Amino acid sequence: MAELLSVQDLQVRLFDRLGVVVAVRDVSLSVEEGEVVALVGESGCGKSVTALALLRLLPPDAQISGRVTFQGRDLLQLPLKELRAIRGRDIAMVFQEPMTSLNPSFTIGNQIGEVLRLHKGLRGQQARERASELLSLVRIGSPEQRLRAYPHQLSGGMRQRAMIAMALACDPKLLILDEPTTALDVTTQAQILDIVRDLRQRLGMSILLITHDLGVVADLADRVAVMYAGSKVEDAEVHRLFAAPRHPYTAGLLRALPRRGRRAGDAQERLLEIPGLVPVLRDLPDACAFAPRCPRSQDDCSNQHPGLAPCEADHRVACLHPEPIVAGAHP
Amino acid sequence: MTAAVLEVENLRMEFRAPRNAGGRRVQAVRDVSLEVQEGEILGLVGETGSGKTTVGKCVVRLLRPTAGSIRFMGEDITAMPSSQLRPLRSRIQMVFQDPYSSLDPRMTVSQIVAEPLRAHGTHSRREAAGLVRRTVERVGLSQQVLDRYPNELSGGQRQRVGLARALVLEPRLLIADEPVSALDVSVRAGILNLLVDLQRTMGFSCLFITHDLSVAEFLCDRVAVMYLGEIVEVGTRDEVFGAARHPYTRSLLGAAPLADPVEQRSRQRAILPGEPPSAIDPPPGCSLNPRCPLADRRCTEEAPGPTQVSEGGHVVRCHRVQEQLDLEVARS
Amino acid sequence: MTIATLPGAEPTIALTQPSRQGWWRRFRRRPPAVIGLAGVVIVVLVALLAPLLAHYSPTVSQFGQVLRAPLSPGHILGTDELGRDELSRLIYGSQSTLEVGVLATLLAMVVAIPIGIASGYYRGPIDMVAMRITDVVLAFPFLLIAVGLAAIFGPSLQNIIVALGVAQLPGSIRIARAEAMALREQDFVQAAIVTGVRDRVILFRHLFPNMLSPLLVQASVSIPAAILGSALLSYLGLGVQPPTPSWGNMLASAQTYLYNDPWIAIFPGIAIFLTTLSFNLLGDGLRDLFDPSMR
Repeated sequence: MAELLSVQDLQVRLFDRLGVVVAVRDVSLSVEEGEVVALVGESGCGKSVTALALLRLLPPDAQISGRVTFQGRDLLQLPLKELRAIRGRDIAMVFQEPMTSLNPSFTIGNQIGEVLRLHKGLRGQQARERASELLSLVRIGSPEQRLRAYPHQLSGGMRQRAMIAMALACDPKLLILDEPTTALDVTTQAQILDIVRDLRQRLGMSILLITHDLGVVADLADRVAVMYAGSKVEDAEVHRLFAAPRHPYTAGLLRALPRRGRRAGDAQERLLEIPGLVPVLRDLPDACAFAPRCPRSQDDCSNQHPGLAPCEADHRVACLHPEPIVAGAHP
Repeated sequence: MTAAVLEVENLRMEFRAPRNAGGRRVQAVRDVSLEVQEGEILGLVGETGSGKTTVGKCVVRLLRPTAGSIRFMGEDITAMPSSQLRPLRSRIQMVFQDPYSSLDPRMTVSQIVAEPLRAHGTHSRREAAGLVRRTVERVGLSQQVLDRYPNELSGGQRQRVGLARALVLEPRLLIADEPVSALDVSVRAGILNLLVDLQRTMGFSCLFITHDLSVAEFLCDRVAVMYLGEIVEVGTRDEVFGAARHPYTRSLLGAAPLADPVEQRSRQRAILPGEPPSAIDPPPGCSLNPRCPLADRRCTEEAPGPTQVSEGGHVVRCHRVQEQLDLEVARS
Repeated sequence: MTIATLPGAEPTIALTQPSRQGWWRRFRRRPPAVIGLAGVVIVVLVALLAPLLAHYSPTVSQFGQVLRAPLSPGHILGTDELGRDELSRLIYGSQSTLEVGVLATLLAMVVAIPIGIASGYYRGPIDMVAMRITDVVLAFPFLLIAVGLAAIFGPSLQNIIVALGVAQLPGSIRIARAEAMALREQDFVQAAIVTGVRDRVILFRHLFPNMLSPLLVQASVSIPAAILGSALLSYLGLGVQPPTPSWGNMLASAQTYLYNDPWIAIFPGIAIFLTTLSFNLLGDGLRDLFDPSMR
């Protein structure tokens, strides 16, 4: 498969009242054609900032360095005009909160029509037909009628579908989904995941999925990158990552999760706690950011920053003392 | 059978709908009956708008129910005047979802945790200070936090403070409204473990409100599933998670993604289509009928009553399940 | 499945921020607020130390020195139409100006806060009554109130303070009410109710302290508004009575000479402008300072 998006050494520095925040630290990432890559992590790990940085959607004072190559062009160097042509047409993005991403004073049809006019030059009847086709694609019933609805007249799930429809308007090559189901109920979430899975098969686009939900990752992703404190700590094929995580943070997350079948009453079942707190992303020392919370940390962890290194085929980990390989756990 | 700490019967809670809905009433809770036994954690599971939080608020009397009755340790508190209710309040406490808005930003941790003691005046100043220290320690916080303000604490630490405030008076009943939903996975684990430990050592009963099935399965002895203001299925953890009968419960169980790609991708998914209808205008008959794959004519006309599935108290409200059961009985 | 807790998962958890920063240090990081504070301090000092600062009496006329231009010998800012030193009048004028602004706002707050809290927290009939009253007050132009009071009791400092205070009531009540309503829905207030804390305690310990910052911001807008209002009333002859100087009546008497001797209007104008600006800047700074999320 050909590489569609390649991110190299992305670094993002944001500024707030207290100074600099290194929100993303040397993150490299690649998305191949037709591939679903999940970027996973807890709040504040830099996963959303990474996604926003790709399209240069961060506040103007953010400092972004590194390279983001999309179809041979560096998005970070591109003149804004050319980038705008790519945004929404070749790369589309769906955000967590569909209410705030839609303009409340225009109908859904207006807003989809706007995208179609802008990027495809479609107008009038043609645009309307395409828009209703898009709504059917995301399984919105009686699309003609829904096109005339305002965002507030739709439920959260419907709005998120409309957002996806809008994102699909120009047959993007890459769809960035930023926590697409976090604000939704499980049933609605399952419906949206179904739609995304189906769309991916039918349209063959690549997806960069930003989420904190390991269940959503398990459902959709081909490959997973785990982020912690602004850095990527592990990167693997999805089955491998769940079956045999090598980074202690990933392993800890998986064991901290209350899962179906885990019951507090049974045999003193306990969830694994990761002690301590996520570090503040200022003046991070040249050390493993997870070391203070890590059960496997040793002296060397606190005086060098582990780079991401391959540990097995298609599996990379940024850890000096990774979890042992679980025998027979590979699919 | 042990005594019920909390008995809720035919609870009904209506709100006036927003003006643009034409002054009609939102039926947030339509008919809920449940019991929380001594030392038990009952999970109240449902999606947004199912009315689960409203039930919790009625139980702590933040809301006065429209109809029905709530009995706490045998005493009817449904319409009890607040002066009479006040002493009882020390025995029913609540933990909230949002660790940021549930603590007064202008009070220190020790003031926050001491507030229930001050309100009830049961302890001298010195006793109270000692009790506050012990409780803070009990929820896994260090003494250092006592003089801190909430904004200096992380989400998990704040939630522990919220727990300390709720438990400092050693209540008999704890209403926990989505206490871990706003927390990250690694922090959530700590709070869940803590809840289990505290419940075992202190022996309080708990009504645990959540939308997260895996959390409910981990924590709860019994689980009640709510849909559109009604409890559609209730049973022990094994019954609900292992042998769910109601189509809605089954759909919920199928919809929650499992954090395991092998299982998640291989399992059968039978997810309900559509979305819950408005609580202003619930459908006639069984509230699930517009979305239910099993629905027949009877479901659209007649609301199903409770059907006993097992002796232990596994109860389902569904005509079709009832028919199935009748058939099974007839066969045997 | 048995899973042990990780070693080192002891219950003691590190704190996010080891130290709280002092108010002054946080305040100092906002230059506009510091400028505002400096302006307010200067105006207050000028008002307090007026007898020491002013070289001339603000009321005694020197008919030989009428309408001297600024920078003339002995009169840096010139003199007015009666030969009174402009600078000295400005200095003394700050007294009545500040008095009106601060007292009117204080009066409004003292009355508005309890009404607002009660109406926002209890809602129901109390709220209905309070809201109708504010509607009525809002429907009266404050000028009418001032004119009415002046007509009945004669123009005096007290009467403009009352008039301006009453004029500010609806705004202050609404802010207090909106805050009380929002706070009532906050989980920490709900938690206090569930815990069995008495209403009185909830109002004093939870509602009032958490309303201070928006009220302070309201005050920082109210004081300059009252200053402007008093200037207007003085300008109309309803406020501070000559010969006692106020920036408003200075402006009023300057209008006749506006074309040839504009400075006697410009200086009180600048004084009003700078004072209101200072209060507004200070208010913005205080809002940030009191906001716990910025702590």
